[in-house]
Amino acid sequence: MRPGFILREAGKSLKQNIVMVVSVVLVTFVSLTFVGASVLLQMQINQMKGYWYDRMEVAVFLCDSNSQELNCAGEAVTDEQRQNIESMLASDDLAPYIKEFAYESKSEAFNHFQEQFENSPLLNQLQEGQLPESFRIALNDPEKYPVINETFSTIPGVESVIDQRDLLEKVFQLVRVASASAAVVAGVMIVCAVLLTGTTIQLSAMHRRLETTIMRLVGASKTSIQLPFIIEGVIAAVIGSLLASGTLWLLMKFLVQDKLANDNLGVAFISTSEVLLVAPGLLLIGIILATISSVVTLKRYLKV
Amino acid sequence: MIKFENVSMVYETKQGNAALRDVSIEIDRGEFAFLVGESGSGKSTFLSLVLREKRSSAGAVYVAGQNLNRIPSWRVPKLRRDIGFVFQDFRLLRERTVFDNVAFAMEVIGASRNQIRERVPEALKLVGLQDKARRKPTELSGGEQQRVGIARAIVNKPSILLADEPTGNLDRKNSLDVMNVLDRINQNGTTVLMATHAHELVSDYKRRVIELRKGEVIRDESGGSYMPMTTVIKQDGSREVHFGNAEGPAADDTPATAEEPTATETKGNDQ
Repeated sequence: MRPGFILREAGKSLKQNIVMVVSVVLVTFVSLTFVGASVLLQMQINQMKGYWYDRMEVAVFLCDSNSQELNCAGEAVTDEQRQNIESMLASDDLAPYIKEFAYESKSEAFNHFQEQFENSPLLNQLQEGQLPESFRIALNDPEKYPVINETFSTIPGVESVIDQRDLLEKVFQLVRVASASAAVVAGVMIVCAVLLTGTTIQLSAMHRRLETTIMRLVGASKTSIQLPFIIEGVIAAVIGSLLASGTLWLLMKFLVQDKLANDNLGVAFISTSEVLLVAPGLLLIGIILATISSVVTLKRYLKV
Repeated sequence: MIKFENVSMVYETKQGNAALRDVSIEIDRGEFAFLVGESGSGKSTFLSLVLREKRSSAGAVYVAGQNLNRIPSWRVPKLRRDIGFVFQDFRLLRERTVFDNVAFAMEVIGASRNQIRERVPEALKLVGLQDKARRKPTELSGGEQQRVGIARAIVNKPSILLADEPTGNLDRKNSLDVMNVLDRINQNGTTVLMATHAHELVSDYKRRVIELRKGEVIRDESGGSYMPMTTVIKQDGSREVHFGNAEGPAADDTPATAEEPTATETKGNDQ
């Protein structure tokens, strides 16, 4: 079996069946676009969470010399104040509420910020040292945040106490709903794509029954009889996945990177590099699904 | 070359009618045999068993020394490369030239370009179509199309050639052309088994005739003719079928008989 011959046969098959192949391409394209969108929305959530969100949701920011908060009075936190706060956190009074806590220095804060806002123009404007140091706290019960707030917000050296969960959870809920909806649409569309690929391959096999009968009787191997059909399905799927990846890239570039990210400087967005991470996955899904549905169809409709 | 040992073939779907019943027959290397019989007598089943399109329900089919019921399905393509097959309806690919049609049989089993360039013209020459290599099948007569079909069947140099009513769609002149080609191929050493309804051809060619009837071999003679069977109408109006040579004294015991060949099919019928 020569690869050139198999490819030529696949090409002929594709041409004869062009209308069906185009519909497979389109359905694959739409379904994988939704798969990609769903995955990217999840990635967006992770991006917004930043380093601390899943680890320790409450932040006690400490004063630095630029601080505008009244509690700081324009003074940076002193070593003494910092030690005081730390010992309060470790005290028996707060032990029932606090699961664990950690100190984040200015340089650590800057590193984490760089990770989270890698795609943002903010990154260039900020220098190390501009971000405040903080204590990060994980609560046994997230609902007990007011206790921490009351305890620390008036302590000297504390700039502010923030519950990230409270800040972000509503946004995340919206994004999660969007992601789940995209996943549901993706699931339905994938079923469509698989069925349509199967039907297309079946039609193709019927069109080329004469060829396959001859091939069978002159002793062509099972592979060389079936492969052109599988390649036909896979080619359609590959085109569909490339279209999906391209669409996601364009959306990301022009809608998210150039528009949303510029209008919302305080929010960390994913970028086209995430699309490039997702694209090979989409390609793989497309190829695997097309192969499976072709093989199953041929098993039923093509005598070898 | 082809050997059937007590072969029976029962299709589950049909009402207990066996397609073949206890058939034992042997066709030697280099032989030319006609397989005759009415539609439904089991000719097609016979051929598809040789090709291992089906497996026999009982008994053993040997082709080129291999028991076809024993070989695994992945070996079947290899078996079929040693068998050429000629279809009644030619089965040529319309959009391809004569050359490409013949080359197709080589391409699908992975022959090299050089082999194709060498063997396809050879095969076309053997069937007398070397000048029509660039034509499309639709530009050829039925006889020529069938000869392309034969060229395709032999281009891989099989040792067995099966033909399923190769002259079924052809007139007498074209049938003779096709027969001459098959004869030539046989003389080159290929075993030829031809299922047919064409009585004149069978009678003219005086080769081995295997006749099937309701799945059983009812005749196997060398140098035979088609259907030496005559229907005898007795005086009381009842009919009786006599086997034997049509010109022979088949009707000796019934003086008032009308001899008529009972071939229910005429040449040109499908199946």
